[in-house]
Amino acid sequence: MSAVRHHDVAAPRAPFVALSALWLVLTGTLCNLRCTHCLNASGPDEPWLAPLDGAAARRAIADAERLGVREIYLTGGEPFLHREIVPLLERCLATAATTVLTNGTVMTDALADALATLARASRYSLEVRVSLDAPDAEANDRVRGAGTWQRAVRTIRVLDARGLLPIVTATDIVGAPDTYDRFRALLTGLGIAKPRVKILPVFPVGRAMAASDSRLSDADLEGFDRTTLQCAETRAVAADGVYACPILAGLPEARLSNGDLAAALRPAPLYHAACVTCHRTGATCRNA
Amino acid sequence: MSEHRRIAVLGGVYANAEALAAVLADARRHDAEAVFCLGDLGGFGPHPDRVFPLLRDHHVRVVRGNYDEAVAVGAADCNCGYTDPRDNHYARVSYTYTVAHTSAANRAWLATLPGQRRIRLGAHRVLMCHGSPRRINEFLWESTTPDGLLRRLLTDHETDVLLCTHTGIKWRRVLDGGAAHAVNVGVVGRPENDGTPRVWYALLTAEPDLDVQFVPVAYDHEVTARAIEIEGLPPEFAETLRTGWWTTCLENLPSRERARGRF
Repeated sequence: MSAVRHHDVAAPRAPFVALSALWLVLTGTLCNLRCTHCLNASGPDEPWLAPLDGAAARRAIADAERLGVREIYLTGGEPFLHREIVPLLERCLATAATTVLTNGTVMTDALADALATLARASRYSLEVRVSLDAPDAEANDRVRGAGTWQRAVRTIRVLDARGLLPIVTATDIVGAPDTYDRFRALLTGLGIAKPRVKILPVFPVGRAMAASDSRLSDADLEGFDRTTLQCAETRAVAADGVYACPILAGLPEARLSNGDLAAALRPAPLYHAACVTCHRTGATCRNA
Repeated sequence: MSEHRRIAVLGGVYANAEALAAVLADARRHDAEAVFCLGDLGGFGPHPDRVFPLLRDHHVRVVRGNYDEAVAVGAADCNCGYTDPRDNHYARVSYTYTVAHTSAANRAWLATLPGQRRIRLGAHRVLMCHGSPRRINEFLWESTTPDGLLRRLLTDHETDVLLCTHTGIKWRRVLDGGAAHAVNVGVVGRPENDGTPRVWYALLTAEPDLDVQFVPVAYDHEVTARAIEIEGLPPEFAETLRTGWWTTCLENLPSRERARGRF
């Protein structure tokens, strides 16, 4: 097991408040798509961040339960490519409300039926977030790949038909003021009675890494409540360690422990250009 | 620390004086020794100043909500934490109206409210807060509040019974064979997205085991709905009072709770 690398000692820190959200980077960077802005440069090639094995995921869930976790998120890569996705979801839902972030292109009717069964059996909410980056197929597919809009929209319909109320999650690649309303119009046009939309900013990381020197300093954070940053209440467990947040999972400077969740519950360095985006926009990867 | 055998606890008045008056009368009929309010006196409804005399006349002990905190200091927004621009629009309209129609004296009073209250109910230690004991605007929905989190909050805050509101929908959890309890008392300022205009509060009695009853209260919601319209507040707020279905601020609802509503 590799040692934790030391990060820039000058970087400001976010305090650790509580483990509200546990993220499992379930498939590492393994994905069937290769989106142009992917924040961890996932794709179908050999993943640079390995998938999390089922036993490690179960250990993290059990640890998080003891620590009083509020909600669990499963991400990747594409988490529905994980061979143990359904039993792991069942384990998560025995502990807390759980959200799966999917590109919506590998959903089958049988899998959707299994998700609906899990949701009905749990006392906690199951959320499925389906990524789309534009409300029209052409703009979306330019970013996410040919045919992805059609497949994701089918998944939205399939989930909605089973009462799962998917949340469409879009990265705001255009930055237009009516982005939210256009997605909402798409969903209502599809006959979705309870449209749910979440917009995220583009983070300068992964395939969207910008040549930016912008970094946070303590002076930038003067008068700012650092406990509102998501890394004050979030930890992401990946195959090679525990990280401050899902966006920086896999980056050595963001690693807070080599796998021990409790050991990672300490202040996190705000060293990355993506930390500037979190601070500037107030963004959270959580549902709300 | 005060000691009681039977108390009434209500949340989220949302400037609905008609509902508050009906709930207070109902609590008196149920022989509540004391009435507690877990905050958010304004928002959605008309004439926010009308709820303050009711609270004072009935000696209601109030905990500060996130809305009260914001109104007290004239903060930029209500700190409800919405990102949906439609929810933000309605929240902004409601908050601007509430600040403009809350007197300086009442705003000063809001600033004096405690963030938490502790009492003893029979042998039970009770902690009252608005959102959660760790954050005033944390949403403790039934479907997103796991047992492990509740045990952590109860232990960290040294209590047997946790009472909260903020979400607008009531629920109750009994833990560890009745040794610990968590109760979201719901709100009295608007219905709980169940298709009826009634509102709810909680009646807690030490028997000596803790007994929790959620009490439905019907009130003249048409009076409040008409006042909302006369004040020029969004018609969606009046529609919610009449139909019992939430029309705005749906963003934070988890799927389980959202599925039960109409919108």
